[in-house]
Amino acid sequence: MATALTISPTRMELIKLKRRVSLAQRGHDLLREKMDALVMEFFDVLKKVQGSRTRALERLFRAYRVLSECFATMGTIETVESARETKRELQLEISSRHVMGITVPVIEDPKVERNALARGYSLYTTSSLLDETSKEFEQALKLLVKHAELEASAFAIGKELEKTKRRVNALEYILIPKLQETIKFISMRLDEMERENFTRLKRIKAILEERR
Amino acid sequence: MDRLIKLELSRLNVHLPEKRMTLREALSSSKPEVMTRNGGKHALNREELEFLAGLLPEKNWNELQLPILIAFEPKFGKSAARISGKAGAYVVSKILDKEEAEELLIYRPEVAILRKKLPTTTQYVFIG
Repeated sequence: MATALTISPTRMELIKLKRRVSLAQRGHDLLREKMDALVMEFFDVLKKVQGSRTRALERLFRAYRVLSECFATMGTIETVESARETKRELQLEISSRHVMGITVPVIEDPKVERNALARGYSLYTTSSLLDETSKEFEQALKLLVKHAELEASAFAIGKELEKTKRRVNALEYILIPKLQETIKFISMRLDEMERENFTRLKRIKAILEERR
Repeated sequence: MDRLIKLELSRLNVHLPEKRMTLREALSSSKPEVMTRNGGKHALNREELEFLAGLLPEKNWNELQLPILIAFEPKFGKSAARISGKAGAYVVSKILDKEEAEELLIYRPEVAILRKKLPTTTQYVFIG
């Protein structure tokens, strides 16, 4: 049970407290709406994250399988050397979108795939399996970039959700009950004072009448 | 504590755009984005813009303000949201397969569908 605040039981305080309760209630209602919307967004992103992770892992699995075949055909050292010859700088265009004040990254479709000539290794000394391996890894990278975007969104939304939930709970279970308890206490105290006054007046009246 | 609540309430709508842009402006822009009240940038997805353009007759492209606002107001009760603006309500009614109206009242599951289809071209607004 919430304990009442220590406050002097006056009518002015009662009015102030009623105003505070209505503000807290308004804040609570709006924050709860925000929390519900965040939950919806969070689960939506989570579903996308699961799908994107599965797709990325499947693609990576396929890429590593082709890489093993490439190692077996070309030899490990040759494959690694060819890989060292390639140069890559991936340019990502990152913008942002806002979900209820949370900045969520948006990565434009990265142009990861390129043709065998652009990769930089010698086509004369390497097997076609290396091309296939590169292609598979490029596709996996594309999926991983998309997955990173979704995971970053999920983290950001989850963090905000946690904060909002804490605030909603603080209002719902601590502040509002405490204020209502205090209002109840002041109302009771004021009623009590009114009754005391009434009795006192009656007593004074009786004494005055006795004296007459 | 009251100041904290007031601060929290004032922060609820900082993600809203300073100025919305019409569908025509967004489609003609090479990088469609709007500035938010907290100084950030909110990018609008081109695929969504093209999807909206397909739903709305071309003569009305100037009427559709983006992002479309999904307004939550406690007076409508929990989980009900309002879509204002004729063009916005028209597009949303098409997406949700609802009856057309000047102002549309939609509910939580419909909001989820709408947000799934238009994650960047819709925004939440909380009205106290």
